[in-house]
Amino acid sequence: MSVTLARIEPSIADVGDYVALLKPRVMSLVVFTALVGLLIAPGHLHPVIALTALLCIAVGAGAAGALNMWYDADIDARMLRTAGRPIPQGRVTPGEAAGFGLTLAVFAVVTLALLVNWVAASLLAFTIAFYVVIYTMWLKRSTPQNIVIGGAAGALPPIIGWAAVTGGIAVEPIVLFLIIFFWTPPHFWALSLYRTEDYARAGIPMLPVVAGEAETRRQILLYTLILAPLGVAPWLLGYAGPFYGIAAIATGAAMIALALRVRAERQGHVASKQMFGFSILYLFLLFAVLLADRLWGGLAAQAVNLFAA
Amino acid sequence: MTIVSDAMDEPKPETGIRLTEQQLRARRSRSIAIALALGAFVVVIFVVTLVKLGANVLTRPM
Repeated sequence: MSVTLARIEPSIADVGDYVALLKPRVMSLVVFTALVGLLIAPGHLHPVIALTALLCIAVGAGAAGALNMWYDADIDARMLRTAGRPIPQGRVTPGEAAGFGLTLAVFAVVTLALLVNWVAASLLAFTIAFYVVIYTMWLKRSTPQNIVIGGAAGALPPIIGWAAVTGGIAVEPIVLFLIIFFWTPPHFWALSLYRTEDYARAGIPMLPVVAGEAETRRQILLYTLILAPLGVAPWLLGYAGPFYGIAAIATGAAMIALALRVRAERQGHVASKQMFGFSILYLFLLFAVLLADRLWGGLAAQAVNLFAA
Repeated sequence: MTIVSDAMDEPKPETGIRLTEQQLRARRSRSIAIALALGAFVVVIFVVTLVKLGANVLTRPM
């Protein structure tokens, strides 16, 4: 019997590689949407506890990113967009990424539970598990509905933020959840339209790979038609002012116009690239305006009253 | 006796892994980051404890 021992090379991973494992850009969007959920919630949370909650949510999101890169290292290596990540580059081993992700996930959830509350911590644990197990391990490689269902993980942070303050869940953060949930498919499908070969090479059944470009363009329009009215819902439901309402109608109309252009496009991907770029701005604007509206809520209403008088 | 002590003085051949400059630099940067993260964690726990207990932090059961 012979035993082969794998030679273990000392790691060359520096801090930047570990930061890259956390997917900082995704993390920043998670922190921002969680912050909005936290600030629109009724009640008071001490600023130190609020910052702690945000820190835990950020670390939890980063942990999910690291676990995703651990599991997806094989397909990341085959895609141009992701081939430069630390594991395909050989700078971090899959085991290091898994250990890093698991450690951070446990720390984030336990710290949130002990220092803030158990509801927010349970939601964070559910979000991480959903993203890693349901999306990464299962849906991503098996169905074109991967980003539709998996998008729930990215949509949960406002609910976690809300729960950190109130210890519960309500309609307001669920509407924010639905906005991100219905924003995710048109956002990623617009990207996948001009990255189809990349996804096909990696064997990921994204919608354009499985159902073709025409069907993807149709689905982008359908989801955008649901998304735009949902974007206006916080105003219609009365927890955002007219300033938010006007911004949501204007940006929602721009999203529909872009989706119509994507639908009509026969050659090239100019419209889908514009749609992808604008969709990021759209979500950011909706949440930023909602935040401004709530923080200086009185101001917008007063300005409108002033003009009306 | 002389022969034995000469043999003991001879430098032993290097065994194990010798880190390259790059590996040493990377390990040092990781160590500093871990120290900073642990320090930050301690500060968070300390400050949150003060916030949660407030003035009660000074209360001791007699």
